[in-house]
Amino acid sequence: MNDRIDFKELHWLLTVTQSIDVGVVVLDQEYRVQVWNTFMENRSGILSYEASTRSFFSLFPEINERWLRNKLDSVITLGTPAFTIWEQRPFLVHFKSYQPITGQEDFMYQNTTMYPLRSTTGAVTHVCLVIYDVTDVATNRLQLQAANRELQKLSSTDRLTSLYNRGHWEEALRLEHARHVRYGTSAALVMFDIDHFKRVNDTYGHQCGDRVIQRVADVVREHIRDADIAGRYGGEEFAVLLPDTDRQGGAMFAERLRVAVEALEVMHEGEAIHCTISLGVADMTWPMDDHKMLIERADQALYESKKNGRNRVSVDASD
Amino acid sequence: MPTIPLLICDDSNMARKQLMKALPPEWDVSVTTATNGREGIEAIRQGLGRVVLLDLTMPDMDGYQTLAAIRAESLQTSVIVVSGDVQEEAVRRTLELGALAFLKKPADPDQLQQTLKRLGLLGESANQSLAPASIFDQSAISFNDAFRETVNVAMGRAAALLARVLGVFVRLPVPNVNMLEVGELHMALADAQANDRLTAVCQGYIGGGIAGEALLLFHDSEIADMAQLMKIDDADYSDMEMLLDLSSILIGACLSGIAEQLDIAFSQSHPQVLGLHSGIEELISLNERRWKKTLAVEISYSLEGYNIHFDLLMLFTEDSAELLSRKLAHMMS
Repeated sequence: MNDRIDFKELHWLLTVTQSIDVGVVVLDQEYRVQVWNTFMENRSGILSYEASTRSFFSLFPEINERWLRNKLDSVITLGTPAFTIWEQRPFLVHFKSYQPITGQEDFMYQNTTMYPLRSTTGAVTHVCLVIYDVTDVATNRLQLQAANRELQKLSSTDRLTSLYNRGHWEEALRLEHARHVRYGTSAALVMFDIDHFKRVNDTYGHQCGDRVIQRVADVVREHIRDADIAGRYGGEEFAVLLPDTDRQGGAMFAERLRVAVEALEVMHEGEAIHCTISLGVADMTWPMDDHKMLIERADQALYESKKNGRNRVSVDASD
Repeated sequence: MPTIPLLICDDSNMARKQLMKALPPEWDVSVTTATNGREGIEAIRQGLGRVVLLDLTMPDMDGYQTLAAIRAESLQTSVIVVSGDVQEEAVRRTLELGALAFLKKPADPDQLQQTLKRLGLLGESANQSLAPASIFDQSAISFNDAFRETVNVAMGRAAALLARVLGVFVRLPVPNVNMLEVGELHMALADAQANDRLTAVCQGYIGGGIAGEALLLFHDSEIADMAQLMKIDDADYSDMEMLLDLSSILIGACLSGIAEQLDIAFSQSHPQVLGLHSGIEELISLNERRWKKTLAVEISYSLEGYNIHFDLLMLFTEDSAELLSRKLAHMMS
């Protein structure tokens, strides 16, 4: 009687193992398939009797055999479970995704667990491989990451010019200053604004003013190196941080920028509008308590340029 | 045969009591206890330790140092090491330092008896039974002590696996067991971090109503050295995967060590890399909303001959602590 109940339970258990929606494979020590459930049959197209006693590697040639052997061997010799996760390895075996038509991925992302199966004597004789379909999780996570990257970009850039906004730019300056304090690196700061910008706005309207700001921003973009950090500081005010540059280098950059903007023509209703910029340059050779002091010095130099007739570069003179 | 002066030298109250319970009942001994090597040596000098049951992982003066001191002073004593650290190298070293035998914790009464018999330390079995009250000190075993000892045994097994995988000797400190506030955990992690960036592998576990997360913290600067130890020359096998594999082995072995002693089984989640190359603040800020207190076990592994350290933190939920405490009490009774 007891035996019959046990047999019934065993039958149920087998049915459960067969029909759960995770892959269950049992391998012996020669990596030959001993158990192969319905999930595996349906996804691989290989029936249980076809897979039985065949090498797992011959069934899935896409697997890096040496890598998986190492992993399975460690499960057998150490008796501890091993895992793979989709972030590190998107899949163990290549299966089609559950949503072949509307899904975004053409394969199934997988997490897997490999755990030791012990015989009645306690020795590890087989490894059970469980394959979880985590395509939904992976797709959502990847979309979230993409959205976060986009948000990050949006929150750090200025809408009008696509240069960095003031918040991001100041944070970059703060970090550069911290590097300067710690490692003694140098950096130059160029601040400038567009001369008589109010006149452009008043004469041609705000839309035209915006165009001018955009075109000046384009000029900045054309002149900076990859490591330089250019931002829009305020209305018509800009700032460019030049890492590993002293004030002489900063002044040369500023002068090139001044010449380029002077040559710039912004067309508005058939009329070419010209503008100029006034620039101030400072660097970190002078000891300073925080990054705001560098802004003050560059700003002071910019004020000098304004005072001395605009459309020129002034360099911070403090030693 | 006169009564044998026996010294039990172990920092854990629970381990000492477990050993006393495991002693052959007919063995005629007078027991002295010591909580570290220094006290132990003092007791042996006074003739209180003709036979010594010696732990390896102890604060102040550990088992290796104690064995070395016994040899240096040519003290007349027979030492049996009883240790949770079951690395082959640990066995080899203690025997080389003069220990007569090595037993793994928790000591099995039969094995202890056979060992004592083999070494001729049992004497003619005197048929008098001992009055237990004279041996057992009545001080209650604190939860922290009992759990520390449980972890001690578990981490020793984990270290033995690690030693096998990496081919190194793993140095084991005394584990820390504490009820921590979130703020304190911050500090503990900040200590672990020092100036270096950390990568943490996290794995959840649950079983028998006891739940928690294990965090294995690696210093980023040491990851390359570790990859070299693992002899990774496969472009398809990344450093991060290596960390995950190493974590699974360590955390898995530690958890199964604890589970086995408590007679439960843990399910483990898939491991996760937390805050890849981020500061430690970010790691914890994730959790701060959810819990205030945690039962924290800290184990610092370091590899001898290499500048490689990693910290294993096992954080149990507040409600798990109570269950654990009941299980441990049950285990001791």
